[in-house]
Amino acid sequence: MRRRTFIAGAGTAVAATAGCVGYTGGNEGDGVVTVATYESFVDSEDSIGPWLKENFEADHDAEIEFTVPSSGINQYIRRAQEGADIDADLFVGLNVDELIRIDEELDEPLFDSLAGDLERSDRVIDDLRFDPDGRTIPYDTGYISLVYDEREVEPTTFEDLTDEANRGELITQNAQESDPGLAFLLWTIHEFGADGYLDYWQQLEDNEVRILGSWSDAYNAYTNEAADMVVSYSTDQVYNGDTPRHQVGFLNDQGYAQPEGMARFADAPDADAATDFMEFMLQPEVQGVIAERNVQFPAVDDAELDEEFASLAHVPPEPVTFGYDELAGNLDGWVDEWARQIVE
Amino acid sequence: MARSRRRVDTPFLVAGLATAALLVVMLYYPVGSVLVEAVFADGRLTLAPIRDVLTDSLYFGDLAGVFAGESPADLLRVVLAGEASFGRFGFTAYQAVLSTLLSLAIGLPGAYVLANYDFLGRRTVRSLTLVPFVLPSIMVAAGFAAMFGSNGPLNRALAAVGLPTVELMFTLEIILLAHAFYNAPLVVRVVAAAWEGVDTRMVETARSLGASPRRAFLDVVVPQLAPAVLTSTLLVFIFTFMSFPIVLALGGFQLATVEVFLYDRISRLQLEEAAALAVLEAAITLGLTYAYLHYERAQAATRGVTARSRQRLFARLDLARLAIAGYGVVIAIVFVGPIVSMLLASVLDASGGFTLQYYEFLLDRRDAVVGTQPDVAIRNSLAFAVGTLVLAVPMGVVVALATARDTLTARVVGTFAMLPFAVSGVVVGLGLLQTVVFGVEVFGLQLQVTGAVAIVAAHAVGAYPFVVRTVTPALSSMDDRLVESARALGASRTRALLDIELPLVTPAVAAGAAFAFAISIGEFNSTVVLVEGGDAYTMPVAVQRYLSDRTLGPATAMGSVLLVVTSVSFVVIERLGAYGGIE
Repeated sequence: MRRRTFIAGAGTAVAATAGCVGYTGGNEGDGVVTVATYESFVDSEDSIGPWLKENFEADHDAEIEFTVPSSGINQYIRRAQEGADIDADLFVGLNVDELIRIDEELDEPLFDSLAGDLERSDRVIDDLRFDPDGRTIPYDTGYISLVYDEREVEPTTFEDLTDEANRGELITQNAQESDPGLAFLLWTIHEFGADGYLDYWQQLEDNEVRILGSWSDAYNAYTNEAADMVVSYSTDQVYNGDTPRHQVGFLNDQGYAQPEGMARFADAPDADAATDFMEFMLQPEVQGVIAERNVQFPAVDDAELDEEFASLAHVPPEPVTFGYDELAGNLDGWVDEWARQIVE
Repeated sequence: MARSRRRVDTPFLVAGLATAALLVVMLYYPVGSVLVEAVFADGRLTLAPIRDVLTDSLYFGDLAGVFAGESPADLLRVVLAGEASFGRFGFTAYQAVLSTLLSLAIGLPGAYVLANYDFLGRRTVRSLTLVPFVLPSIMVAAGFAAMFGSNGPLNRALAAVGLPTVELMFTLEIILLAHAFYNAPLVVRVVAAAWEGVDTRMVETARSLGASPRRAFLDVVVPQLAPAVLTSTLLVFIFTFMSFPIVLALGGFQLATVEVFLYDRISRLQLEEAAALAVLEAAITLGLTYAYLHYERAQAATRGVTARSRQRLFARLDLARLAIAGYGVVIAIVFVGPIVSMLLASVLDASGGFTLQYYEFLLDRRDAVVGTQPDVAIRNSLAFAVGTLVLAVPMGVVVALATARDTLTARVVGTFAMLPFAVSGVVVGLGLLQTVVFGVEVFGLQLQVTGAVAIVAAHAVGAYPFVVRTVTPALSSMDDRLVESARALGASRTRALLDIELPLVTPAVAAGAAFAFAISIGEFNSTVVLVEGGDAYTMPVAVQRYLSDRTLGPATAMGSVLLVVTSVSFVVIERLGAYGGIE
């Protein structure tokens, strides 16, 4: 019930301003924009997908349809490799590592360039852009950080994690299969360099770091008080409030930025409507709603954020991240060496 | 042997061909399309990917050197020094052996109690042994973490009676316990069915001839239970050998199995290495299956017998009943505890207060614009499970008939019939995706299957080996002369099957059917590939979809619904089965 009144209220607000964008595309497709994305975008409590669909359709002569491929972007890489047709218009939820995989696996472009197509693309925060070829545009970002229990621990530096006092108190995720797990690994590589990160991880292992599977696995173990620190997102308090058990820790005042991007398929059946949808997602009001419902930070510098959200979601003093060029060619090797060291 | 030379009846031929066609389209071709990467590169035959994996110390430890051509004597030296490592394959097999032993240790007493004692709710308990099978691993992991965590009920209880607490999280022990949670019920079910079939008159005869109860048990009962115990041992080993999410959720990456790396290689599209890993995994599990089939025939098996009389469980207290009470405590800790913890998670909010918000969320979902609706998921799950039952039971019986005799061909066919178990779920999923989902051209026809029909077919393919494994031992121990007499009197082969053989192996068929139903309800990997955003999602898929939130709430609420719906349907199925003369 609360959810519906909220949608109605926010919807009117957006409709008032979004009206000027309008749907003006030369309607060559069937008027249905097929958006490929990930589960929580459409299917968690109060998720952003249904809101976007409802509010976009209210002002545009186009329909939004979501599809959630079980293997994510791999589905489309395999389709392209096998010559099967691609029946989506855009993909929402790309990470830089996936973009690198696309470029390694495919010779033909999977996505086309958005250069000049999006009016609001110049409002996107520069540090978040991760595609040198301008095919992907960020729509939100998360910051990987620690969540800890201030009654038990007080981690502020990377060295704190290898301190004897914190033995067995850190839970992180398997970098092979989990986004935050990979981001945390990359964060340590950012800090200690490609030559030094394995030594640091050796110290973490000596201090009994726990590396569980997915984010849910890790967070669930943390919830059951199996340890007092867990690698998670800096928006943790939006869910749990500012409580002792849910303090956000930025190691060395840093947080690893993990922007999420959207891209238009090169042979999108409804390219114009897809572009309009992307433009819609970059509107200041919509960016505010995306942030709240996706529990991530906006990608533009003029997003209209709810005050309560802004006070509970913490931005690291110094966001760090690796760009496309630094990761391309290195990523798989880094992860592999890490995995070998851990299990051997 | 004359029987096999006879002309095959049309119904047999049709059933056989349909089974074969379904297996080719939904299993052999898709899986082959992935595995072929391991032996073909640039259109040429090669063994390089498999060799690379065999000689990689990550996977085979010190054994890798031997595969690379080093002297086995060196390996022997390291082994004798107690410093040998066998890599991920070694660890995977090690934990699977321990998991299997623990599952047998917990399962066999359960089978004994169910077969020999009578108590209120005995049949309900038996029906509920199927429940762990269908629970999504994420929820079992959540229940285990809650139950066995540092501050969980187990440790609180231990502390309350003054015993030292145990740290189980992130250890091999908790993985073994979770594997037992999934697999001990399977042991109970398969073995209890065989135990109920043990002819009590034979035991009485042995006793009257002077055998001690112990002697009679060893000489009469054990040989009759052996095939069932071996069947469940084999299945548990295969399942725990392929284990993946439980290992990562409870033990962590330091205890990663081969399957963890296989999943990673597939998600990074390193398909050659993935295929090589899958081939080696399948070689191990199928090799075991073949060896097992070789011995299965040598054992006696279930036959039609007089109903056994059971002792009342709640009677005067003796040593046996005291032991059973102790066993009940173990069951409460390993099975009831995690399930209750899981149910509790669905009604507790972040601060630990009681809430029904997650169930309200499920109710709201029913009229959501976009998204997964719980009632659709329930309907689909039940419909697919019934469809699977209808398809998998005939398939299983057909394959069982084809492999019931002890010939080389029968063993080879029987081994390959086990392929759905022996091949990793991610491989099956990827195979289905790149063949039937993308579309394949067969004889100039573009063939593309998605949606409900494909899901039922995939479930049936995954479920029928259970029917085969429960029915084959029963069929092969049946007296050939029964069928021969019927045929001599003019019955067709089909008539003989329907009138003579099937009624005699009904308990085995019913056991397999119940498994087929459960497999369908719990199946996740191929379902999620075939749904592809459509309306054919099932309850486990819905659990997974509701999971992606910061709280486990909605997922555990959906999981609780899954638990209730399946528990009720298992009880109903077995009650219906009882009315049909099956017990």
